[in-house]
Amino acid sequence: MTTRDPDPDPGTAAAPVARLVEVTRLHGDGAGAVHALKGVSLDVAAGELVAVMGPSGSGKSTLLNLAGGLDRPSSGHIQVEGVELGGLSAAGLAALRRRNVGYVFQDLNLIPSLTAAENVMLPRELDGVRTARAREEARAVLGEVGAGDLADRFPDEMSGGQRQRVAIARALVGERRLLLADEPTGAVDTLVGDEILRLLRAKADAGAAVLVVTHEPRYAAWADRVVFLKDGEIVDSAAAGLVSAR
Amino acid sequence: MTIRHGLLALLTQGPRYGYQLRAEFEASTGATWPLNIGQVYTTLSRMERDGLVAPGEQDEQGRMVYAITEKGRAELDRWFATPVAQADRPRDELVIKLAMAITAPGVDVARVVQAQRSATMRTLQELTRAKRGAGAAQRLVLDSMIFQAEAEQRWLAHCEAVLAASPKEGM
Repeated sequence: MTTRDPDPDPGTAAAPVARLVEVTRLHGDGAGAVHALKGVSLDVAAGELVAVMGPSGSGKSTLLNLAGGLDRPSSGHIQVEGVELGGLSAAGLAALRRRNVGYVFQDLNLIPSLTAAENVMLPRELDGVRTARAREEARAVLGEVGAGDLADRFPDEMSGGQRQRVAIARALVGERRLLLADEPTGAVDTLVGDEILRLLRAKADAGAAVLVVTHEPRYAAWADRVVFLKDGEIVDSAAAGLVSAR
Repeated sequence: MTIRHGLLALLTQGPRYGYQLRAEFEASTGATWPLNIGQVYTTLSRMERDGLVAPGEQDEQGRMVYAITEKGRAELDRWFATPVAQADRPRDELVIKLAMAITAPGVDVARVVQAQRSATMRTLQELTRAKRGAGAAQRLVLDSMIFQAEAEQRWLAHCEAVLAASPKEGM
């Protein structure tokens, strides 16, 4: 297992937004223990979109959950914005997640009884932001993802692609720089799927660090770097040729 | 790939010089099939012979403008109305390579598959990059190539799964 993530630009010594070093995750213990991840190292820098590809059971979702502090590794180190997650209490970890990490899950988890704007506002309000400001932020970020006209709609009044946009807006609201997406294209058609990746790409180009897990090559292809995960190990990675040309 | 029908389609927008046809052809197809000017003039003169296009006035530099004829329009209509047959593809080197990798002793098939997956993924990344900011026609051309590269990726993932389930010795 080697680290295939040399600093792309040694001139800027900025720490990556997310860093995994020799991360191992075991499920169960003793002889029946299963290695979900076996010593994975991966950096995601600001401005970078990284895709993780692999068959089901390869450890993709485990990797994403660990990077976002939703799960803890059996060994190895994980840093988000330079903070070592292993050193944080449960409450500290929760606070870091809310402040720094946005998630888009396959089953969007939008709350059906809240409008799009209210769904987007929720994490900010939980963070103590006043309602009026949270609403303003929600409108702005919904506009950013092309869902400004959906603000007052409820999830069941939206198409799959529209719900996806709202979920992405919720992931982006606030100052978060790390965006994690687990199969964000779900079951949408390729046109909507491309739009979703275009949005994530735009966020990366605007300075976010984006880590996307997908089993679909066409979506992985939007990334600067595609990491192939197999049986809990990174087996190869493909980097796009001209990173500076975007 | 039928250059002649592509040129006929461009001529339905009005008479064009050869160099204009070349530029418009490349713009429509996202420069996927670069044409040299010689190909354009050869095709035009054959189409003139077949009555599909008619030459107009020569300009002072000796350049000829071409217009589509009624016969040319009929040929173009026929082309658009006819589905493209699944052409006999030339022998696919990748398929042969994988078959041979499995047959020949001492070859790390998984490595061959992974090397191809990474290479095809880089191609997919380049095509996807080119798609940003592409016009509608170019975008659809690039999408077609993306779907083809994607099919190869899926096939390679399938090969990997099949090989993992039944190791080389058993095949």
